Amino acid sequence: MAFSCRRFWTALLPVVLALALAPAAFAQSSSTDERVRDLEQQVEQLKAEIAAMKSGGGNAEADRLAELERRLEVLAVEIEKLKIGEAAAAADQSEQGFGPAASKIYRTERGLSVGGYGEVIYQQIDEGEEEGEGAAAKSEEGEEEEEEEGGDHFDLRRAVIYVGYKFNDRILFNSEVEFEHAGEEVEVEFAYLDFLWRPQLNFRAGLLLMPVGFLNELHEPTVFLGANRPDLEQRILPTTWEEGGFGLFGAAGPFTYRTYIVNGLDAEGFTDDGLRGGRQGGSEAKAEDLAWVGRLDYTGLPGLLAGGSVYTGKSGQGLETASGRQLGVRTTIAEGHLEWRWRGLEFRTLGVRAELDDVAELNEVLGLAGDESIGEKLKGFYLQLGYDLLAGRAAGKALIPFARWESFNTQDAVPAGFSVNPDTDFEILTLGVSYKPIEQLVLKVDYQNVDNEAGTGADRFNVLLGYVF
Amino acid sequence: MFLTVDEALKLAFPGCEVARRAAFLKPEQVQRARELSGAEVPSALVNYYVASRGGQPAGTAWFDTHRVRTLPETLMIVVDPQGRVGRIEVISFREPEDYLPRGAWYEQFRGKALDPGLQLKRDIRPVTGATLTARATTDAVRRVLALHQILIGAGKP
Repeated sequence: MAFSCRRFWTALLPVVLALALAPAAFAQSSSTDERVRDLEQQVEQLKAEIAAMKSGGGNAEADRLAELERRLEVLAVEIEKLKIGEAAAAADQSEQGFGPAASKIYRTERGLSVGGYGEVIYQQIDEGEEEGEGAAAKSEEGEEEEEEEGGDHFDLRRAVIYVGYKFNDRILFNSEVEFEHAGEEVEVEFAYLDFLWRPQLNFRAGLLLMPVGFLNELHEPTVFLGANRPDLEQRILPTTWEEGGFGLFGAAGPFTYRTYIVNGLDAEGFTDDGLRGGRQGGSEAKAEDLAWVGRLDYTGLPGLLAGGSVYTGKSGQGLETASGRQLGVRTTIAEGHLEWRWRGLEFRTLGVRAELDDVAELNEVLGLAGDESIGEKLKGFYLQLGYDLLAGRAAGKALIPFARWESFNTQDAVPAGFSVNPDTDFEILTLGVSYKPIEQLVLKVDYQNVDNEAGTGADRFNVLLGYVF
Repeated sequence: MFLTVDEALKLAFPGCEVARRAAFLKPEQVQRARELSGAEVPSALVNYYVASRGGQPAGTAWFDTHRVRTLPETLMIVVDPQGRVGRIEVISFREPEDYLPRGAWYEQFRGKALDPGLQLKRDIRPVTGATLTARATTDAVRRVLALHQILIGAGKP
């Protein structure tokens, strides 16, 4: 009998435990918002009880009233902890000596962060001027598909999903996966791990966005004016430009910096049109040659961003001449940038200069002759001015007419024995307007007057709808 | 998480006595705070910390938790005895830190009162690449100043 009784309790124990623990398990699984709501309801009940007792008088209830007020205070503190999260819990730990386990619930809020952005564009290209040797300054996206499709087109240019995960306060992962042209191409634009140590010094490794120019790291459609990125920031600064590598980043006083070692560009992809084809994007990238890229910005005055970046490294990646000499093709790209924002005004300017070594040999290896030479020097600048007519009037809304002037040349110098193709020397005027009904949506309409020395530039009319969340 | 509540309070009010207060807003107070700030007031229960030194008011610290993009941040916003913004500290920030403005940007708020100029692209300059954080911060400061005005009065600690 004693045996069967023990068996009975042994069998029953898990059930009893499960029942006893169920509320706790449920509470843990419920979201913070629900917990806050529950606690707020309890606070309201307690307030009502206290009010009822106060109106009823009754000295005998004094102790009970004090107890209810104490409970009310406890609940108010609990709600504050849930709202603020681990910062409040940690305060408990230091104040009341709770061990880590006691405040564990507040420390479970690790972050899975999901975001995204996208762009849909309708683009008219002035076909009349598009004759010639493929010389039109094509927009970043137009560059590929426009050549195939020609003329006017509509394109779900990109739909992007950000996924980040915060393992703890020190280690986080961040990534961007991009579907281009309605899924025709899929690309991981960045995927890196950050190891945070202190504001001045942190470590980053993975597939990194090169910290150059305005747009390579910040290219959500709501962040820049114009349906297309400046052409300069596509050909000489080849946005979006990501390579595998590692490095340091941080901020000290009014300065921020990044310094990375990455796999170098691949000179095999360079053309007279610029460096864009040399990007490797982390896809089985050649890493025979490495490069260094660094950036320094000053942000000491609100509204001002002033800085510069340098990329330097060999791009030969094992290329050899017919005689067996390995090509270095040192590539150095230096840029300076300045942005000033004051009330509704936004002004940007950027200047860039790139220099390449071993270009004559590279041309020979790649079979480029005459005016097809890769530029030994590339240079350009742009100025952009916009003004938000709704600045400060309606929260989140913006109506920004703007103008941008670009001048650049992807063959500013070519080696002896080669000639310059006039269709690489551009001047582009963009006039347009951006309208944001809310901070995260933008409608952009602009006209781009594209001129080159050869007279083959194709003007563009663009309408773009962009979102970010 | 950058600071605990305790650390932030010690930073804001060194050598002060700090008392925690809880306020239960009436519906009309919530409505008034919305109107004054132009921002959402998500809870009728608000906690704040009143600091004094030698019996003299030293300021009030408000902790405001709000969503930036998809994840929350908590700010400590100190209001001085004249009802103007003092120190702002980021207590926790769950979005990637790329979306976090630098310290100098927060200094723009110092000394500001709740007036129509306290808006992005008016007295507050935006930050490229951290627009949503800038917007959320400006809303939080307006919300806190409105609550301060309603619960404590514009010119009190």
